[in-house]
Amino acid sequence: MNLMGTGLLLRFALRRDRVLVSAWVLVLLATVAASAAAAGPLYATEAERVAAAEALDASPAIVALYGPILDTTSLGELSMAKMTVLYAVFVAFMSVVLVRRHTRVEEETGRAELVGATAVGADAPTAAAVLEAALASLLLGVLAAVADIACGLPVVGSLLFGASWTGIGLVGAGIALLAAQLSSSARSVGFLASATIGALYLLRVVGDTTSASWLSWLTPFGWGTQLSAWSQPRVWLLLGYLLLAGALAVGALALRRRRDLGSGVLPDRPGPAVGSPRLRDAAALVVRQQATALVGWTVGIAVIGALMGSIVPSIGDLLDTDRTRAIVEAMGGVGRLQDSLVFAIASVVAVVITFFGIGAVTRAAGEEHDGRTETVLATATSRRLLLLAVGGSAVLGSTWLLLVAGVATALGRGDGFGAVGASLVQAPAVWLVLALSLLLLSVRSRWAVAGWALLALFVTVGQVGPGVGLPDWVLGLSPFHHVPRYPAEVFTWPPEVVMTAVSAVALLAAWTRYRSRDIG
Amino acid sequence: MAGVSNPIEVHGLVKTFGRTRALDGLDLELVPGEVHGFLGPNGAGKSTTIRVLLGLLGSDAGTATVFGLDPWRDATEIHRRLAYVPGDVSLWPNLSGGETIDLLLRMRGIDPRGTRRDELLQRFELDPTKKGRAYSKGNRQKVALVAAFAAPVDLLVLDEPTSGLDPLMEQVFNECVAEHGAAGTTVLLSSHILSEVERLADRVTIIRGGRTVESGTLDELRHLRRNRVRAEVAGKVPDLSRLEGVHDLDVDGRVVSASVEPAGLPGLLAALTAAGVLSLTSTPPTLEELFLDAYRSTS
Repeated sequence: MNLMGTGLLLRFALRRDRVLVSAWVLVLLATVAASAAAAGPLYATEAERVAAAEALDASPAIVALYGPILDTTSLGELSMAKMTVLYAVFVAFMSVVLVRRHTRVEEETGRAELVGATAVGADAPTAAAVLEAALASLLLGVLAAVADIACGLPVVGSLLFGASWTGIGLVGAGIALLAAQLSSSARSVGFLASATIGALYLLRVVGDTTSASWLSWLTPFGWGTQLSAWSQPRVWLLLGYLLLAGALAVGALALRRRRDLGSGVLPDRPGPAVGSPRLRDAAALVVRQQATALVGWTVGIAVIGALMGSIVPSIGDLLDTDRTRAIVEAMGGVGRLQDSLVFAIASVVAVVITFFGIGAVTRAAGEEHDGRTETVLATATSRRLLLLAVGGSAVLGSTWLLLVAGVATALGRGDGFGAVGASLVQAPAVWLVLALSLLLLSVRSRWAVAGWALLALFVTVGQVGPGVGLPDWVLGLSPFHHVPRYPAEVFTWPPEVVMTAVSAVALLAAWTRYRSRDIG
Repeated sequence: MAGVSNPIEVHGLVKTFGRTRALDGLDLELVPGEVHGFLGPNGAGKSTTIRVLLGLLGSDAGTATVFGLDPWRDATEIHRRLAYVPGDVSLWPNLSGGETIDLLLRMRGIDPRGTRRDELLQRFELDPTKKGRAYSKGNRQKVALVAAFAAPVDLLVLDEPTSGLDPLMEQVFNECVAEHGAAGTTVLLSSHILSEVERLADRVTIIRGGRTVESGTLDELRHLRRNRVRAEVAGKVPDLSRLEGVHDLDVDGRVVSASVEPAGLPGLLAALTAAGVLSLTSTPPTLEELFLDAYRSTS
């Protein structure tokens, strides 16, 4: 191992990622704190906790998504149910993003060569990337534990829960590091790592919902639950994270030594020698660039939608105790409750779909930064067509995904197609966020990344705001706040029309600016 | 502008980025069918000028026209008639070289099937099946060059196009430019590689600090410049230091060398003849010297 210069590279990486890491950690912390703070008053007595936990455990769909609750009397386990398994995915993804960014992306752009030619050790860039992800995971774990303790949850449980997050972060880093050795394409590395995480999550889903429960012990996403952080913990299970992450890292390092800088272990497949006549203009180019991602998103959204939809019919049974029945009746009966859930699902999925759209916009900013926009605009391609292609791929792609989500939810629910409407009702809010992102891109290509910050802000306000009692005008900053709560409430046109109109104005402003600014 | 418009006309062009004045009253004129060398050190404003001419950047003052049209307003119309090779070619990582070439041609409104792309792929020894991310710098350059040379155009805009090419490929590049030149294509060839421009260009424009320093045919520029004269005489070297138009005098035994303005040549030759000249060489300045001279005079 030649690690000379690792410290320098680590400091450099931390400096480059200071906004990214801080934002990621803060958003996750905010959700932890909000969940922990909300659970106490909601489930004040043990009887209430047991009722809620048993209700959750009774629904295979919820167990599939969040994993089971082992100790139904534990407040900590109940309040952290979502965090322990589902949100752990976002922790793993943080490490994937960081490691990929400092390994394969650097190699693909040739910057790794620049660094490699200086007096840093051959293994230093890899070590720095892993160390950075490990530090971020550790920071996130510690702060998550602190947040839980501050919100009144038991100390030991909080620490173990935090440790499980750090653990899954380390595993994510290991997965990304291994993937980075395999393919020479940074995009493929992202795809490989995401698919691996998806597969490990699915393994847990099968283990938790079928009799083959041993499967949950094979995947790190099952360990969060099996750790049993809040009562009779299996502390030794934390070693699992360390061993798995270590094994992945060692494997990756061995592969790293056997390949050249810039190449991958998997061979690069040759492409066609001649371009298809369909690949003929900027619009076709954008479609080609987005096609793979859109197919992946379509499959992913369809699975999530179907899974969420299948929860809906069981929601009435879940809460079928004497006391809850009274509440449900007061709220308008089981049908109304199901409608509320359909709305809730649609609003969450809409936010996820917005990620796709913003990704399409920021990709265009990357194209401009790398000089490819210049190449395109030096042909007979007009700026109008290019902006239309970029905006169209973001807006139409997202709208298509909303439709997929709605249909999948409806099929999962198996009771008519009301969910399709619920999903499409979200469209104006998604459009508005995307129009604002396009405006940022049009003002200055470097500003496009602020689209992520905008979305993070809206999500945080929407997720955390109601819990901590933020004033209405703050909640109203997020377009998603204004979407009619259809089908739980009657559909109203005004907010939809207003948001669509504001989107149109933003797009018009974007076009006016884009046609008159310097490119590059 | 009177009569038929030149392919490129730039007068007093100014472009600022914040406080930096990238172009500071630049002039550039290309006549139809010429290969025009556009010379300047790094940061002189060559690429900025080209980007303004392509309508990618706006200008702050002055005028720029391509085919008599406004590059900002009529960009697509202009671009149908030209091909551009950037100095630093960036390719789509997941598109093969062949796909990229065909896409670039189609985006210019040209069907690749009727072009010379296959012949050029062979001449440039380029494998079109590799993915964009797998090409070296030189091969990325070749992808852009094949796309630019494959079909006839009215104007080729080449921004330091041979960076990363080996000498053999440079030779192929030179042939391609010559072929297009012979077919009547106007070529704007930006470069800091002087030999390449010297071989290909009919006229050159030398810029520095966003301004035009010199412009003309190589002959015209040489005419204004001093020849390097070196002579060996039989007897004692006469005192030449008082002669008009003779500079940088250097006497080493019976060998004398000096830079001589055209006006100083008769006087110098008379003095050397009187001293019994044995050998005499006179070398016109290379473009390199013109270049250095132009820089010196403005710095």
